[in-house]
Amino acid sequence: MHQSTPLQLFLAEVGQIARFAGKFLLQWFKPRYEFAEFIRQCFIIGYQSLPLVGLTGFIMGLVLTLQLRPSMVDYGVESQLPAIVGIAIVREIGPVITALIFAGKIGSRIGAELGSMKVTEQIDAMEVSGTNPFKYLVVTRVLAAICMLPVLAILSDAISLYGAYLGVNIKGSTSFRLFWMLVVDNLAFNDVLPAFIKTFFFGFAVGVIGCYKGYNSKKGTEGVGQSANSAVVISSVVIFIIDLLAVQITDFLGFN
Amino acid sequence: MIKESINNIKLGAFVLAGLIFIILLLYLIGKNQHLFGASFILKVRVDNVQGLRPGNNVRYAGIDVGTVKKLNIINDQMIEIEMVIDQKVQSIIKKNATVSIKTDGLVGNKVLEIVGAKIPALPVKNGDLLTPKKSIDTDEMLRTLSKTNNDLAFITDNLKITVTRINNSKALWNLLNDETIPQHVKQSAKNIQDITNKANNMANHLQIMVQNIQSGKGTLGKIIADTVIAANLNSTILSIQLISKHADSLTQQLSRTIQGIEKSIINGPGAIHALFNDTVFSNHINNSLQNIQNGTDGFNQNMEALKHNFLFRGYFNKLEKEKRKLNK
Repeated sequence: MHQSTPLQLFLAEVGQIARFAGKFLLQWFKPRYEFAEFIRQCFIIGYQSLPLVGLTGFIMGLVLTLQLRPSMVDYGVESQLPAIVGIAIVREIGPVITALIFAGKIGSRIGAELGSMKVTEQIDAMEVSGTNPFKYLVVTRVLAAICMLPVLAILSDAISLYGAYLGVNIKGSTSFRLFWMLVVDNLAFNDVLPAFIKTFFFGFAVGVIGCYKGYNSKKGTEGVGQSANSAVVISSVVIFIIDLLAVQITDFLGFN
Repeated sequence: MIKESINNIKLGAFVLAGLIFIILLLYLIGKNQHLFGASFILKVRVDNVQGLRPGNNVRYAGIDVGTVKKLNIINDQMIEIEMVIDQKVQSIIKKNATVSIKTDGLVGNKVLEIVGAKIPALPVKNGDLLTPKKSIDTDEMLRTLSKTNNDLAFITDNLKITVTRINNSKALWNLLNDETIPQHVKQSAKNIQDITNKANNMANHLQIMVQNIQSGKGTLGKIIADTVIAANLNSTILSIQLISKHADSLTQQLSRTIQGIEKSIINGPGAIHALFNDTVFSNHINNSLQNIQNGTDGFNQNMEALKHNFLFRGYFNKLEKEKRKLNK
């Protein structure tokens, strides 16, 4: 039997994920629509992730402000701290950190859930009963991830900015109105829109990879754990790759 | 079923919260960039935009009133900056306002600043071209600062040398340590004060004198104030002027006479010409004078002989006696 090299295995994995993503793109707009399941997944994926994402966002804003403050004071631009923190959170840190937390929570959840369904042959049973498991399980979850991650990222930005406001006021004194004006005055559409758009791709990546890993889970319960783990790892790496591509594209289009 | 409804409500609130925040953020950014609400276009042409970019703020009297919309290269020497300005300030910005490119703070973003002129003018219209004003470049400021630093270093060095010399000067320190100098200075100040008082007195007297003169008191006052004297003086001056005129004519006549005499001496047929110019005539005169001298000597001898003659001796003695009487 032919022994595949790691590179061949990697390329084969990439190809299979691409085919899985292509299958999703073909399936998602075809009837029958599993709207109720989509809403349920939105609630689980989006709403139930808010506390974790909100908490990490708040800490991130607070810590970032406290870490930046000494350097800003050294350069004599302490008054620009809200502007710098605002740009950093809205452009990069908010979307990326939220996507990574999202990958850790939702990617592993989807991988484990679909993996356990796979190894317990529930997916096969759905096919036998006439239900399209791909549409019911995969399309709803991926769409929910695509729709919910941008909302989570936006709310995370808001909570992070509030954390930054508290961080500014720990050692200084700035009114919320002034803080907010300084943040908004230094933001442009070029800062907000590319960051917002890339979160749709982050959600797509997390949903597709989590579903792929769970949907193709093998080796029983051990495979479920592997699926959950590899879903998180690969999603996180892909998030950074998409971020890299996004910054190159926005730079190329002249948005930076 | 109830739980599912509650979950749906929570999900709806969650999604709405996210949407409201992103819409609010985009609205505020758009408002800052004057994308919403009525606006109009103003233009300015400069030779260097100094790093200005679309989206940079436009300020009037320190207030953000618009943003830079576009930069158009007109030719190799000129770039047109297009600004979007809030309609509310259209009546405030006048046609003679000037535009300069400045930096927000020392290292901040570039901003366009519209400065109104003090001369009244009509308000701007959509698409108007404003006049550019050259602003101080940061590089230029730093160059000036560098030159100032060099000058300051030079001055400091010189000051250091001067202070060292002062420190090493024994004469100066002796002077400063001499306790009699303050007393001398004090005495000098007192003297100066006395002199000042005297000068004040003199000035007062002088003032009184001037007042007396002005009021016509004293000789000088009378001369200045008395109109009769002034009239006499005037007539005297007129007489002097008349005499001067006569003197002029006399001088001219005299001059002419002297010229005539000179002419007759030099070229005339008379004896004076011969006396000055004819050497033979001159010799004759000299000889004649010599002969007269000789004749006079001979006559004196005859007269002396006559005095000793017995016929005339009595007469001469009588004259001598009368002469002596008169002298007594």
